[in-house]
Amino acid sequence: MSTQLDEYLEAEIQSLLTDGRIAELGITVNRREHHLVLGGEVESTQRRDAICLQINERFPDVQIVCDIGITRAQAPSEVEEIS
Amino acid sequence: MIRIAAVGDVHVDKDVLGRFRPALEELPDRADALLIAGDLTRHGTVDEARCFVTEFGGLGVPVVVVLGNHDHQSDQQARVTDVLTDAGITVLEGEATVLELHGHRLGIAGVKGFGGGFAGACASNFGEREMKEFVGTTEVIAQRLEAALMSVQVDALVALTHYAPVPDTLVGEPLEIYAFLGCYQLGRAIDATPAALALHGHAHHGSERGRTPGGVPVRNVAHPVIKQAYNVYQLLSDSVDSALVAN
Ligand SMILES: [Fe+2]
Ligand SMILES: [Fe+2]
Repeated sequence: MSTQLDEYLEAEIQSLLTDGRIAELGITVNRREHHLVLGGEVESTQRRDAICLQINERFPDVQIVCDIGITRAQAPSEVEEIS
Repeated sequence: MIRIAAVGDVHVDKDVLGRFRPALEELPDRADALLIAGDLTRHGTVDEARCFVTEFGGLGVPVVVVLGNHDHQSDQQARVTDVLTDAGITVLEGEATVLELHGHRLGIAGVKGFGGGFAGACASNFGEREMKEFVGTTEVIAQRLEAALMSVQVDALVALTHYAPVPDTLVGEPLEIYAFLGCYQLGRAIDATPAALALHGHAHHGSERGRTPGGVPVRNVAHPVIKQAYNVYQLLSDSVDSALVAN
């Protein structure tokens, strides 16, 4: 039986993302007709790849699209005056 | 004039080493101090705290932090705090520190904070013991923030928390989880003091700017929100630096 793209799957993926190992609370999971889209940002490419790998391993028959970005870390060019 | 750099939610582990450092090397040219609004690490382990210190330590400007919920994940927050303190980083939890910058006194009071929600959609101190413990934790932390803010006499006062003191800076997050992202009690504590700025993190999908009901500017400096290594805020813009007067 193939995995249903339903709310329970979404909840299971969220709990996998927030378990001790991955520890990412800021990843979004969007259900499309035939696949799941992961979004949000993490701090490194290794972290993004590990997330996608673990979800793929856990749900091999679900098509996962990984749109997770890496948060940029350049110095700022502006100063905000607080008043 | 004082310039403070701020960021939160850097979630450092081995894989982050070196990512912030180039921008941090430039920080002393842009700001007088760095404030970090919690979630310094990924799981709150001692190893991750050491990675954080490697990346954010030895900057040549004071570094003042609060811990976040991630820094509590392994129940090692005391040891994490020791690693940070040994590296010269000031960790605030219910206390304040004063930095002398260009002849001005900058006061920073910090707590991690907690959830609970905001007016019209908040948990109340009622019912099961677990619920009362939850809201009781929120209330105690907010009282400690207020006491810490009131404990210093300074020219500019900043409140530093991990959880949000207002809902304004949560816009972008699902409404259903606001109560886990912050609480009105922190905002009320800030409004009872002469704070000039409130900085927080935690809401990775939130937005940058807001104000407390009493009018204090609030900035969500979570790294995924500001999308750069740190933001720089200028305080006391109209004041004359005593160092300049002396010349
Ligand atoms: Fe975070
Ligand atoms: Fe957090």
